[in-house]
Amino acid sequence: MRVLIVEDEPKMAGLLRRGLRQEGIAADLAGRGEDAVWMAGATEYDAIVLDLMLPGIDGLEVCRRLRDDGVISPILMLTARDGVRDRVAGLDSGADDYLVKPFSYAELLARLRALARRGNGTRSPELRVGDLSLDPARRRARRGDREIELSAKEFAVLEVFMRRPGEVLSRFQLLEHAWDYEYENRSNIVDSYVRLIRRKIDRPFGTRSIETVRGAGYRLREEGGGR
Amino acid sequence: MSRIPIRLRVTLAFSLAMAVLLSALGLFIYTRFESELSDQIDQSLRTHGDDIASLVAAGDLAPNSKLLGREESSAQVLTPDGRVYVTTPQLGQDPQIAPADAARATQASFIVTRDRVRGIDGEARVLARPAQGPGGSYVVVTASSLDDRNDSLSNLRGILLIGGPVALLLASLAGYALAGTALRPVEAMRRRAAAISAAEPAQRLPLPEADDELRRLGETLNAMLGRLEAALERERGFVDDASHELRTPLALHKTELELALRYAQTPEEMRAAIASAIVEVDRLIALAEDLLVLARSAEGKLALQLRRVGVAELLTDIRERFAARASQAGRSLTVVPANGVTIDADRLRLERALANLIENAFQHGEGEITVRATETGHDLQIHVEDAGPGFPQGFIERAFERFTRGDPARTGDGTGLGLAIVDAIARAHRGSAHAANRDGQGADVWIELPANRN
Repeated sequence: MRVLIVEDEPKMAGLLRRGLRQEGIAADLAGRGEDAVWMAGATEYDAIVLDLMLPGIDGLEVCRRLRDDGVISPILMLTARDGVRDRVAGLDSGADDYLVKPFSYAELLARLRALARRGNGTRSPELRVGDLSLDPARRRARRGDREIELSAKEFAVLEVFMRRPGEVLSRFQLLEHAWDYEYENRSNIVDSYVRLIRRKIDRPFGTRSIETVRGAGYRLREEGGGR
Repeated sequence: MSRIPIRLRVTLAFSLAMAVLLSALGLFIYTRFESELSDQIDQSLRTHGDDIASLVAAGDLAPNSKLLGREESSAQVLTPDGRVYVTTPQLGQDPQIAPADAARATQASFIVTRDRVRGIDGEARVLARPAQGPGGSYVVVTASSLDDRNDSLSNLRGILLIGGPVALLLASLAGYALAGTALRPVEAMRRRAAAISAAEPAQRLPLPEADDELRRLGETLNAMLGRLEAALERERGFVDDASHELRTPLALHKTELELALRYAQTPEEMRAAIASAIVEVDRLIALAEDLLVLARSAEGKLALQLRRVGVAELLTDIRERFAARASQAGRSLTVVPANGVTIDADRLRLERALANLIENAFQHGEGEITVRATETGHDLQIHVEDAGPGFPQGFIERAFERFTRGDPARTGDGTGLGLAIVDAIARAHRGSAHAANRDGQGADVWIELPANRN
């Protein structure tokens, strides 16, 4: 999962990114509304955390412009203004959810997961492909009844596959959803992670769930590679 | 009187005036009517007397002959010694006036009112006049009953005594109704005023159409409501801003701690998180104190401990206090004191104000910072100047408002309250705070206070 954080208070932005990364969520920062508009247009974020008070164009305007530009990423508005009018204006400008500062960090994470779920067309908090299952809230991955230990980044990459079973995902798409701009665009990092994941989800079970599609990328088989 | 409701009071005053007017009118009508009637009676007595005197003069009357009366009056002709010479038959042979009166009437005519006169019921008006006949002088007496007149007058009195109060009552009722109509706009304004609350501060009182006292009162009250609405709006804006400003550090603080609790694994990480959280708490404390100062000054309750403060000494202290800050920032801080000038000020608050100005110059200005005290007349000005870019366009007008920042990006740790506090402190000292750009050479912010010259 990859999230864009639009927040002008540097300390807050830094904290949020640190927290999200700890959860294996890739996070980019935009400090100004204008930056947010082009960044969200250039990358398909799984969610956008948008502060309302921004220098330059404000959060409401950013939201409107993103929707006008056809950006469909779910937007979670984050603001210190809690009046009903403010919340209505926020949602009406195209935001999907609204969280008032000071918020609980756990709630922020839960809402982001909910938004990502909605954007994906699924309602279950648990992702299932064949006998593979992934619970982003509890950070648990299982094949059948057996727990699989994954690092945060492995989890994030597997989550990208699990959200699009059967689809061929290019290395670039995987990078885009699981890494943020801080990582250099070296596609072999994707290959390394795919190798690591196969070692954990396939090798112990004798399955082949992630296939290499020559010249295109990788695909998670729809039946999850089960026997 | 002042306890009686205005509508009743107006009506009472109106009724009183009406009563006086009606009484005077009644009295006038009555007396006019009375004198008119009396004149008529007297006139008819005189005419009758004249007629008989002519008969006497013509010698047409023989002793004891019958004298034709008139409908309204009887008549007698007496000899000067008071005996009846000729009379209307129904009076008989007794004279209507005493012999003394008859003697008097030979000299000049007179008219009197008598309670009892022979041959007439009730009060009577009697005329006696001399008349010269061929056989000597006589006295002609004509008399008329006053009963009819008295009846008419008593009728009129009755009409006035009943009709007057009735008219007064009707007029008073009409007056009461009119007063109600006149006061209706007041009642409409009262009802609206009773309904206006802080929830709908845009409401205004209804104004009567006519350009009168009530409309002017309504306009004045509406203008007051407008001012209150604006003040309320400012207060709401302040509360909004204050809650926003409080929430930002609180959100940071909370997130910092939550993240530490969730992810920090080593004591060092925990320590760093706590240190960072303390910074946020400090910011919150500073903000709370600033808000308190502003709230107190808005209530006019900013307590000052006034002492005589030497300006030169104050500025020297300030320079020493900021020396470390200046060398750290690689900037120079110069003070230009006004020697020998003292002010009556709360030193702590004044230092606070100057510190805010100097801190602003460090954060938002550039180059050398000069703190300059100058004396103008009875006032002392303390300027804080820097050599930076100055204030952005349009900021100076709002510089001393709460929660305004020159830089919308909220850089630095400022709360947007610094200059508002400077202004509050200056005002509490019966002074003022000002800001200007020095023609492209940087910003100049100063406070002006009443000074003493030693």
